[in-house]
Amino acid sequence: MTGALLSVQGVHRTFGTGPSAVHALNDVSFEVEPGTMVALVGRSGSGKTTLLNVIGGLDRPDAGTVVVDGLDVTGLDEDGLSRLRRERVSYVFQTFGLIPVLSAAENVGVPLRLAKSDPAEREKRVALLLDLVGLADHAQQRPGELSGGQQQRVAIARALAASPRLLIADEPTGQLDAETGLAVMALLRGVVESEGVTAVVATHDPVMMALADRVIRIADGEVTC
Amino acid sequence: MRLPLHWPSIRGRARADAGPLMLVALVVSAVVLLAGATPPLVRSTSDDATREAVRNASDDAAVRVEADWPDDYGPTGGRMRAPKLAEDVAALGSLAEGDLDPGLRSALLPPVSTVSSISLMVTDGSVQRRLQLEYLLTTKGTPAVTWVAGREPQAATDDEFLEVPLNGRPWPVQVGLSEPEAAALGVGPGDRIPVQDERRNPYDVRVSGVFRPVDAGDPAWRLAPWVLNPAANRDGFGSTRFGGLLSPESLPDARLAFRSDQLRRAVRFDADPETLTWQSAQALAAEVATLKAGSAVSAARDTSLKWATQLDSVLRDLRDQIATATAQASVLLIGVLAVALLVVALAAELLTRRRAAALTTARQRGASLPALAAELVVESLAVTVPAALLGLGLTVLLVGSAALTWAVPFVLVALCAGPVFGTLAAARATRDRRTPANRSARRWARRTEVIRRFALDAAVVALALAALVALNQRGVEADLPAAAPALCAVAVALMLARLLPPGTRLVLRLALRSRSPLALFGAARAAATASRVLPVLALTTAIALGSFATTLYATTQQGLAEGAWQTTGADVRLNVSSEAASSTPEVAKKIAAAPGVRHAVAAQVTENARFIGDDTTVTARLIVVDTAAFRALLADTPLPGLPPIPSGSGDLVPALVRTGDGSLTPGMAFRLPRPAYKAINMTAAGAAPALGAGDDVVVVDAAAATAAGMVFEPNTVWATGPGAAQAARSSGAQVTARTDLLAERREAPLSSGLLRLSLVAAAILLVLGLLGFALAATASAPQRWETLARLRTLGLRRRDTRRVAVGELLPAAVLAALCGPALGALLGWLTLGPLALRRLTGQAVDPATVTPWWTIEAVTVVALAVTVVTVVAAESAVRRRRRLSEILRVGGQ
Repeated sequence: MTGALLSVQGVHRTFGTGPSAVHALNDVSFEVEPGTMVALVGRSGSGKTTLLNVIGGLDRPDAGTVVVDGLDVTGLDEDGLSRLRRERVSYVFQTFGLIPVLSAAENVGVPLRLAKSDPAEREKRVALLLDLVGLADHAQQRPGELSGGQQQRVAIARALAASPRLLIADEPTGQLDAETGLAVMALLRGVVESEGVTAVVATHDPVMMALADRVIRIADGEVTC
Repeated sequence: MRLPLHWPSIRGRARADAGPLMLVALVVSAVVLLAGATPPLVRSTSDDATREAVRNASDDAAVRVEADWPDDYGPTGGRMRAPKLAEDVAALGSLAEGDLDPGLRSALLPPVSTVSSISLMVTDGSVQRRLQLEYLLTTKGTPAVTWVAGREPQAATDDEFLEVPLNGRPWPVQVGLSEPEAAALGVGPGDRIPVQDERRNPYDVRVSGVFRPVDAGDPAWRLAPWVLNPAANRDGFGSTRFGGLLSPESLPDARLAFRSDQLRRAVRFDADPETLTWQSAQALAAEVATLKAGSAVSAARDTSLKWATQLDSVLRDLRDQIATATAQASVLLIGVLAVALLVVALAAELLTRRRAAALTTARQRGASLPALAAELVVESLAVTVPAALLGLGLTVLLVGSAALTWAVPFVLVALCAGPVFGTLAAARATRDRRTPANRSARRWARRTEVIRRFALDAAVVALALAALVALNQRGVEADLPAAAPALCAVAVALMLARLLPPGTRLVLRLALRSRSPLALFGAARAAATASRVLPVLALTTAIALGSFATTLYATTQQGLAEGAWQTTGADVRLNVSSEAASSTPEVAKKIAAAPGVRHAVAAQVTENARFIGDDTTVTARLIVVDTAAFRALLADTPLPGLPPIPSGSGDLVPALVRTGDGSLTPGMAFRLPRPAYKAINMTAAGAAPALGAGDDVVVVDAAAATAAGMVFEPNTVWATGPGAAQAARSSGAQVTARTDLLAERREAPLSSGLLRLSLVAAAILLVLGLLGFALAATASAPQRWETLARLRTLGLRRRDTRRVAVGELLPAAVLAALCGPALGALLGWLTLGPLALRRLTGQAVDPATVTPWWTIEAVTVVALAVTVVTVVAAESAVRRRRRLSEILRVGGQ
């Protein structure tokens, strides 16, 4: 392994046992350089989400290793994984996952609270990120008062709040219309460049593939290119 | 129209939700058991109470009839001997029996006829001994005896038409004596017992023989126990009463030996408690009242039947007590049913949440709402009906019968809750009406929703207030007032549920300022779920009504203790018969000198003394007592103290007064009229404390009363101290010990039944409340754990998720723990008065509400804390087995 931020080597993941066992990932290996945006492409059920979960430590592989920013994810205990998610890896989900009773700014500040950041620093960082995602004027609005695209942008800002090294996005535009989806993807592309973060994005969208630095195709649990 | 039921869906849903469905079945069975068993238990307890009240009333419950003797003047102005007098006495019994209504007759034991003389002094110069002549006759004849010496009393003459002069020598009469009495008197067959009356007129009483009763338990002996054994203090302290047994042959001689007013004939019918039930007793009370209404007046000097009994009064008091106990049982039962309904609704809500997706899918695939409703009804029938039948079966097994009055409505609601919730959820999920795009239309829709909710809340509050007003005005005879505590609890809990969202938002604002992320996440989750009304409603109502039941228990216990103090007036009370009045001060002194006695006071207590004011007549308890000694005695008890009475001036006696209707107030002048004597003028110098079971009392100082011309004849002794009871019992007078009275009242069927029911209801309510809380927590668990899973993707540690979950569940628990007991105490304060607890506690006024705050709070807090921790630990354990990715993919289910 050289200077890769993410290294996935020989990862296997099987669900179930016996004849009904499903091999979600089968000897998956690849590396991602720092500061790049990778589009993970494949049909439904091809293993994209499973791969993202294994990379982010939400799931454990049956075999193989995943190294993020020099840290072997597969060898971490619960607390280690929590620390990983708090400091190095963040997620953007299809369903946003915002806390409905908190404002946009308060949602963005959640990772910083977990990291015990200084309140003043936190507010500054939140304002910066909301400005980055174009929602500075909506800071005090609650998720229910925002559109789907705006909510996803808040989710992206929240994912960036703790300055992660790796951003994992699982079909971030899945619940958005085409135009809004395009804006969100452009935003992702922008933050990768502006924040220097590495992003792995699972998507079906060809536009996203065009915006990515690299496309990894996965079919039946195997990386095809 | 035939509904297309999809049986695989019905079976599949039932299998998937077997746990919640079993829980519903369990709640239905338990509540049906309670609702079905309570009315029969109340009925059987009422029957027991009826029997015990009649048994305890003893003499008061007996129906007694008297008739004066017919004139026995002969043609020469003398008195004619009536040789067949015994047959006349038997005929009086038959006549009285024939006068009785068949219903009343069946509730009475066979009659016992008696002929009793006045009490004569035995003038043998030794100790105070008195002799009373008795003729006893049951339906089987005179009580059987064995003559161990001498023979049965014989007639003094064989002349059937004898006439004796009015002022002749004392007419001889033969009596039999029991072995102990003959031995005590030192007489035998043929001896004469030297006796005279109060005017020193001698009587010629001769002993014919000494007998031994064949059956000392014969009911006839019970009416004159002094015939078998000497009885102490019947005729005054230190005296002993003996009884001489008359025979049918010597009875005519007794008639001649005494004046007509010195020999009384009577027939007594004792009530038979074993034949009585509460229902038959109610009819009996009416028949007794009719009998008394048709009776000749006691002052009439003729041979007509004069009926006397307190049975109707005993039954009337009992009716009041049973009405009170029944009302309180209804109040508790309605409370349990109300909370059980809320818990069933929570279970239905949980089921609906779990099935929301499946129901929506079924609807989207074309299932009609009636078809879905029918499927849910089928499932509900399959769960509820067997559970209800099981509950009823258990009730019959345990109690012997089951009442459906309360059980059926509950089962119907339980039956409908699941289908209604499910159908509404399916309808909402697939209805065409969407949130309007227009902002003003959205605002209008929100306002409509607020108005609708406000109208519902206002209706519940109005209903609760109406029930409360009805309870205060009409008592608990009807159902609505009996539901007042439950309705008030629901109404206030509803208000609290409405206040919870702004409260949690406030906490959230505070949490946002804190540096603890866990506090923020917990507060955020709590704020997100605070708008759910049903969980708060169920938990707060359950805790409030459980606290109310505990308050009822504690108040009744305290009321019984205070009632025993009030009834007794001290640790012990002695009632001395009027014949022994002169010896009462001596009794008091003797008791006061006994070890372990702190105070002993003799008083003259006259129940129902009549006082006349300027424009009012008051019937009150008159207590004439040495007020200084009485004050010291009262200070030694928890009873209210006696204020000082100013000294009287002339013949105006200062008095302390207390009347329930305020007809005598301090400053008023009034008088105590006395037949054949000058009335005693009194002035109300102050307020008297409540003394005794009645509410009206007048207390005067014995010295002042004597100075005003009143004769002080004490008939009551009060004593305090650990040795008071023993000292009092040794005096031989009729003793009422406070501790005995308290134990007797606590063990009485109605009191003990109510106390048990209060505790059982409190426990069931607590369990139902916690069950409702757990159901509500389970219903919100998927959303909670999905949020927690997302927070874990942001770096929240697994162990911290449990703290956040506890934080989410805490507001409802804290609200219930803080407000529930307070609401329960408020309900007690508002409703225990109209529930008339005094009828059971034997107090003059309703007992002050007693709320065992610390017990209630401790039990509530510990139970809620354990439930919250258990629920969170169980949820955490269930989700620990699942990968974080799985939770995020399928939600928190």
